[in-house]
Amino acid sequence: MRPPEQAPRRPPSGAGTPGAPWQRLSTRVIWVDLVQSVASLLPAVVALAVFGVAPGSGQLWPLIGFAAFGVLGAIADALRWAFTRYRITASHVEVKTGVFLRVERSIRRDRIRNVDIEARPRHRLFGLRVVNIGAGQQAAEGESALALDAVSTADARALQDRLLRMTDATAEPDGAAPAGEEATRTEGTAPLAVLARFRPGWVVYHMMSVWAYVLALGFGWGIFWLLGSSGVDVTGFVAGLLDWEAIGWAGTVAIAFLAVTLFGVIGLAVNYFAEYGNFELARVRGTEGTLLRTRQGLFTTREVNRDESRIRGVQLSEPLLWRWLRACDTSVITTGLSMWSMARPAAVLPRGPVTVARRVAAEVLGGESPWAVSPKAHPAAALRRRLWWATLFTAAVGLALLGTAAAGLLPYTALWAAAALWPCALGAAFVAYRALGHAVTGPYLVMRSGLVHRSTTVLRRSAVSTIVIRESLLQRRLGLRSVSAMTAAGYGGYDLPDLDADESVAFAVHAAPGVLDPFLVRPRDGAPPEDERPPGAGGARPAPRSGVSGPAAAPPGNT
Amino acid sequence: MSPSPDDRASRTLRPPEHRVERRAIGWWMLQSLLLTGPLLAASVLALLWWEGARPWPAVAVALSAVLLVVGAVIEPLWRYRVHRWETTDTAVYARTGWLVREWRAAPLSRVQTVDAVQGPLEQFLGLSTLRVTTASSRGAIDIGGLDKRTAARVADELTRVAELVPGDAT
Repeated sequence: MRPPEQAPRRPPSGAGTPGAPWQRLSTRVIWVDLVQSVASLLPAVVALAVFGVAPGSGQLWPLIGFAAFGVLGAIADALRWAFTRYRITASHVEVKTGVFLRVERSIRRDRIRNVDIEARPRHRLFGLRVVNIGAGQQAAEGESALALDAVSTADARALQDRLLRMTDATAEPDGAAPAGEEATRTEGTAPLAVLARFRPGWVVYHMMSVWAYVLALGFGWGIFWLLGSSGVDVTGFVAGLLDWEAIGWAGTVAIAFLAVTLFGVIGLAVNYFAEYGNFELARVRGTEGTLLRTRQGLFTTREVNRDESRIRGVQLSEPLLWRWLRACDTSVITTGLSMWSMARPAAVLPRGPVTVARRVAAEVLGGESPWAVSPKAHPAAALRRRLWWATLFTAAVGLALLGTAAAGLLPYTALWAAAALWPCALGAAFVAYRALGHAVTGPYLVMRSGLVHRSTTVLRRSAVSTIVIRESLLQRRLGLRSVSAMTAAGYGGYDLPDLDADESVAFAVHAAPGVLDPFLVRPRDGAPPEDERPPGAGGARPAPRSGVSGPAAAPPGNT
Repeated sequence: MSPSPDDRASRTLRPPEHRVERRAIGWWMLQSLLLTGPLLAASVLALLWWEGARPWPAVAVALSAVLLVVGAVIEPLWRYRVHRWETTDTAVYARTGWLVREWRAAPLSRVQTVDAVQGPLEQFLGLSTLRVTTASSRGAIDIGGLDKRTAARVADELTRVAELVPGDAT
């Protein structure tokens, strides 16, 4: 339709194959846009033709708005299709897009961390898939995910296979020939092992959440508005359902609350089936090594592949309010996946029972089970510290209430709220203390902490890059220290609060094998950390300093 | 060569070998002054000119005066006693903080960049901060208050050593 006139202006930086042809997205995108236009016009047409709504009457406006929104969106999408080209060279994936503002983006192929395939119902209708190409944490350099919206299903699979196969980048002929890759594709997608499948029973773990109310109220308001605008007397209908006068104020509130809860819970249950239907977590053969693949979605399907060689650990997170259900969220700790994305690409299981989560986690990690040793509890001083904080927090709230009461803004009875808060805070302190635990099992560190979400982090010890020990004044008095293991994967670091001070060193030494060895001394011949010796006056220095540095003069060293 | 795990477990960490420059005290003082000085000035002005709010500006003056003394006198001296650093052939090790003390150690095999950076105040005092980053977003080790020549030299040496140590830095 339009010659790619900008192509020669920017030669690919990877100097491999300047001739790789630019490709369009699938032409079927246009069909999607046409269908979307027709579908969005439909309500207005039906209202005019079938129900005989007078043109220009107020009732038609929402429908006209809907139609305009749909049609304009479709036109914009078609324009986007017309002006978008992509190509895959030996070294880069390049995309040019934009109608008025041309955007040219490229991702180096060796930086590509994940290639995800996604499809909304309208894509699935036409055999289309959206391919998201992510370069992990390179977002700062403008190399966040590229989306190809959309290509045909076969092309999407071929692209995925091809881009995740980094070793072949130089060997393969360029200029995407997806058809020829069909054979590798079918071979590659057969799972080596299926670790977990969709379980309808897990719907209980998904039915209860604050979102139930958000969902119910949003939905209810939408229905009310829609019915109201088409002339149905909703208020009258609800008023006629029951004798509200007889039930009274409290009863009405209770019934409304129950109705909203029920509505929201059903909505969340439906959402669980829609989002996680056909769920499967499988280990599949990747082009180099194995991949962990999740597939999910009844209508909107999503497939995420995670390179297993990048997985550094697993995190199980048990939300406080559902601890009695033993509910648990499971995610992998891996490099190159955004932890802050709404799509949660690191989550490998829907929320489910902790027993299953532990089994799957052990299988994901392979080898030795990280659950072989049960985590060791932390010293009682850690509980004391938490109880102190809980009490201080309550006191602060009490003082604030006292202040407002003295200013006449609140009655003095509000102080009872603080009194009621105290036992709750103490209980929370106890729960938070009970959550603390740590263990070193084989190649893994196991760290457990957290009040609202008790998270158990299993981290490969070899993945720890920086080890941090922290000690506040209060901790020092209580003989406690916190240890953090920093890593390139996941959230970048995982904290373990309030170990016994002596044990913290042992844990840190195990956490980062070999790193701290030169800095260890026996308690008797070395100075304890509190001691502030003047520089150079320390007698016992066990490790001979083959030092790279000194502040005064350049030492001979190894340089 | 390295002690056995059981042996290591019974050991404690020794402080890193080198102190930072004495000038670092001045650096921390200036930082606190720049932060809390305007606060004190503003509350004194309020005390003088804003008569409507009388008792409160006095409280603000007292509070910011305390902040100033703590920040400009106690904190720098305390920090000078705590801050220490050391580098070896295999690792970078530093202790920082005052109310909260922190020991950080990173193996050179995981080091990605080593830089000597200078803020405006540091330039004024001839100081420099050695910044050692690893692949972890939370794993950087900052050693502030070094002489700028020392920092540059150490950065240079560490960069050279880090290139020699095998490892993919992740």
